[in-house]
Amino acid sequence: MKKIEAIIKPFKLDDVKEGLSALGIKGLTVSEVKGFGRQRGHREVYRGAEYQVDFVSKVKIEVVVASDLVEEAVKAIQEKARTGQIGDGKIFVIPVENVIRIRTGETGKEAI
Amino acid sequence: MAAPCTPSPFLAVIAQRVQMTTPIEELKKSRSDLVTLFSRREISGAFPGSYTEIMDHYFRRSLQESKAGQSLFREKKPFAFVAVGGYGRRDLCLHSDIDVIILFNAKIPSLAKKLAADAFYPLWDAGLDLGHGIRSVKDCLMLSKEDFEVLTSMMDARFVCGDSPLYLFLVQALQKKVVSKKAKAFNRWLEEQDEIRVRSIGDASYLLEPDLKEGIGGLRDYHHMLWLAKAFFDLGVPRDLEYTGKLSHHEYQELKENLSFVSLVRNHLHLMSGRKRDRLTFEYQEEIARALGFQDQGKHLAVEQFLGQLHRAMASIKSLRRSFILSHLSQRKNHKGGLQPQALSENIHISQGETGFSAPGAILSEPFLLMEVFEWSSRLDAPLSLEAKRLVREFLYLVDETFRRSQRAIQSFLRVVDSPKAFETLDQMLEVGFLGAFIPEFEAIIDRVQFGDYHAFPVGRHALQTLRYLKNVASQKDILLLDILADVPHPQLLYLASLFHDIGKVDREHARRGVLITQGILRRFSYHKRATEDLLFLIEHHLLLVETATRRDLDDEKIIVQCARTIGTIERLKMLYLLTWADARATGPRAWNEWIANLLLELFLKLLHTLEKGELATPDASRKARQTMRQVRRESANLLEPKELEGIFEAMTPRYLLGTRATDIVRHLQMFKELQEGERERPSNAFRLDLKEDVSDGTCEMANLTRDKPGLFSDIAGVLALNNINVLSAHIYTWRDGTAVDLFKVTRPVDPIHSEEIWQKVRRDLEETFEQRPSLGHRFEQKAASSIWNRPKRPSQPPLVWVDNESSDFFTVIEAFADDRIGLLYLITRTLFNLGLDIRIARSPPRGIRSPMSFTYETWKDRRWSIQHRWRR
Repeated sequence: MKKIEAIIKPFKLDDVKEGLSALGIKGLTVSEVKGFGRQRGHREVYRGAEYQVDFVSKVKIEVVVASDLVEEAVKAIQEKARTGQIGDGKIFVIPVENVIRIRTGETGKEAI
Repeated sequence: MAAPCTPSPFLAVIAQRVQMTTPIEELKKSRSDLVTLFSRREISGAFPGSYTEIMDHYFRRSLQESKAGQSLFREKKPFAFVAVGGYGRRDLCLHSDIDVIILFNAKIPSLAKKLAADAFYPLWDAGLDLGHGIRSVKDCLMLSKEDFEVLTSMMDARFVCGDSPLYLFLVQALQKKVVSKKAKAFNRWLEEQDEIRVRSIGDASYLLEPDLKEGIGGLRDYHHMLWLAKAFFDLGVPRDLEYTGKLSHHEYQELKENLSFVSLVRNHLHLMSGRKRDRLTFEYQEEIARALGFQDQGKHLAVEQFLGQLHRAMASIKSLRRSFILSHLSQRKNHKGGLQPQALSENIHISQGETGFSAPGAILSEPFLLMEVFEWSSRLDAPLSLEAKRLVREFLYLVDETFRRSQRAIQSFLRVVDSPKAFETLDQMLEVGFLGAFIPEFEAIIDRVQFGDYHAFPVGRHALQTLRYLKNVASQKDILLLDILADVPHPQLLYLASLFHDIGKVDREHARRGVLITQGILRRFSYHKRATEDLLFLIEHHLLLVETATRRDLDDEKIIVQCARTIGTIERLKMLYLLTWADARATGPRAWNEWIANLLLELFLKLLHTLEKGELATPDASRKARQTMRQVRRESANLLEPKELEGIFEAMTPRYLLGTRATDIVRHLQMFKELQEGERERPSNAFRLDLKEDVSDGTCEMANLTRDKPGLFSDIAGVLALNNINVLSAHIYTWRDGTAVDLFKVTRPVDPIHSEEIWQKVRRDLEETFEQRPSLGHRFEQKAASSIWNRPKRPSQPPLVWVDNESSDFFTVIEAFADDRIGLLYLITRTLFNLGLDIRIARSPPRGIRSPMSFTYETWKDRRWSIQHRWRR
């Protein structure tokens, strides 16, 4: 089992969800995050006053999938989240030791 | 809450069972019967009273059957069972605490403990929450003096059974020795308690899940009123509030109804949760709505109707308490007006910091006074007195159609809206029903609740809260907002927009509907036409910024341009931004946070720049783009399906549409179709080349369409250079679907006779190039070595490169100036390609003495220096 973490542009969330859903992956965790990457912040000026815009708003998606599904899932995310311009984001794949469903106590693949 | 003192029919029914069982068994049975009746809805409002009676009955029986009690009675040691707290008020919900004291005169005999055990132990065993004590009168007085919490409990004392003169003695002593002496301190303590309550309960989430007892407008508010009335006016029973004129009959009735309703909800809550729960959390809201008999009406859910009624009841309790305290009790420190009422106009005065009517009768002949009093209130920041509010309520019927249409009233209303205290005044108007009467369209949405954890307020309240945020921008410590607000020339539009933006929320779809409704209102107001347009725009599009910021690609210039075109002017943009901010803040904690704020700011600034620079988003630009598209549609009707055409329009960038003639666009569309077919045969390097000779000035217009790929521009430039074709001007566009449209104006080939052949060669070269790059570079090196090129035409000057990262939000603009020579374009584009930069747009206007070539392409700031550096080489 692996955990896939993806930082994407906010407006791409629905597309990515759709892409994963098509693979049968329905359970996601979504958070609103701030990105300080290569895109970086910049200074804006309004009426002579400077405003430092430090970060870029992004969305983080986390999902745990069975190992045999990882490649497809990553591909789906990449396809759906891509615009071709800087700031498209990154995908991380992390190994998972175990998964437990709280309500029933199921573990492993069944609990995903 | 006054309950009838005569035994209810309910008790009569169980009276027969009395002698069969022990007191506690009887209590348990009666209690469970009562609960059953309640859950079957056969009893609702009478529950607290009946429950109190059952408890009273239990204590009476316990006393009768208690041996210790009998002994004490025989020994002439009088005592009394006194109910205090909620039990004393006859205000028991299912799982409320039962607070009772066994009162003795001076000394507490040892048998008292046995008596207590007889009466109280069974209750504990039965699982009831009991608050108890054995006290002498002196104890009670002492404790009450020290701890006001105990005092409030004692003030609700009620005789249950035992020696009644002893009870009366306590009550009198309490009044004489504690209450009358400590009244002021007690009042201050209550105010402090209030502040604590508001601080902990003020959070927006509490509005979504109100605390029925401690919450704002909850039962506590009423208790405070009662305690204060008892402390200052020596009132006996709640009804005295009306009898002594502290509240009008109508106010008292309304209060009773509201309290009854809130109590009823609380009781259901206790029943459903199985314990003493006072906070109405989400999980119970729908169930209770059903239990109370609410039903879905179309899109207005039962739970929403229920919550609407609850909010109304609690708001009413809160406002009544506030007025009551202000009118009768609060410590006045530095109020305007002093002790004597000061006349403000013929019929309005201000007295002790409150505005009111000097002669209520005048209202009948001069209904406009109803509006005037509010205007004065807002001007002087002096709320209406309790009496004034009463009068407005009573005379609301005078607010008829004539009133609503009268310019006098309307202008007065607008002045209120403009004033700094607009929120406070409109809030009062809302409270007494005046706002709904003056603007009936508003009445419809006042209590409209939207079920869920997103909207903290019913719609009417939310509109006022939005206005409030706008009025309090200064306190937000957000300089940008302040600056933007300062730039808005007609803030009144903004304020009216905040009032009306959700007025269409009668059911779900509300933006369009809101526009229609507001149009009606503004017509009635005879509102200025131009301002009306702006205002309606704000209402129709009040969700535009949020939706665009969260759901669209802000890095896509076209999206921004389209949005900017919808907005149209910088003034509207600023108002829209402020309205968006205030609306989100006034919705609830989920609607606004740093993350969303950041996205909105980014959008706002991009829109601002687009509108400021004006080239793409002015009304002229919009019109031109629309005209062009119309013409293209006409002329390409036989070429493409309408749906296909619209799809391609979506892909075309704003600059392309504005900078290209309609006839040329049609030609490009043709080429696009051919390209699509060509791609099917040779996917990787299909292209379409089109030439148009212009004999008059010896130039050629060359258009090339292909799939964009890295280095494309430089490849074409290279091929042209190799064939000695001079590029006079170039316009490069990249559509959003990746189609590159490269338009060149070139000189005719050096050899005019064989021009056709040369063009064939150009085509072949392009084909070759698109397949394998290296050959082009190589050939170019060879050519460059040739002497022809190295001869400068004029004295050479060093090339100049300007790199501009500021003027566009989407691209970096590079302008290059260099001496004219064939192959210059190739060199420039090659360099850019080698730097890994992607050229999206290029423009080089026809050249004069020097050849400025300006390129627009994407890069990021950290690249800037490397470009300057490379260029020098």
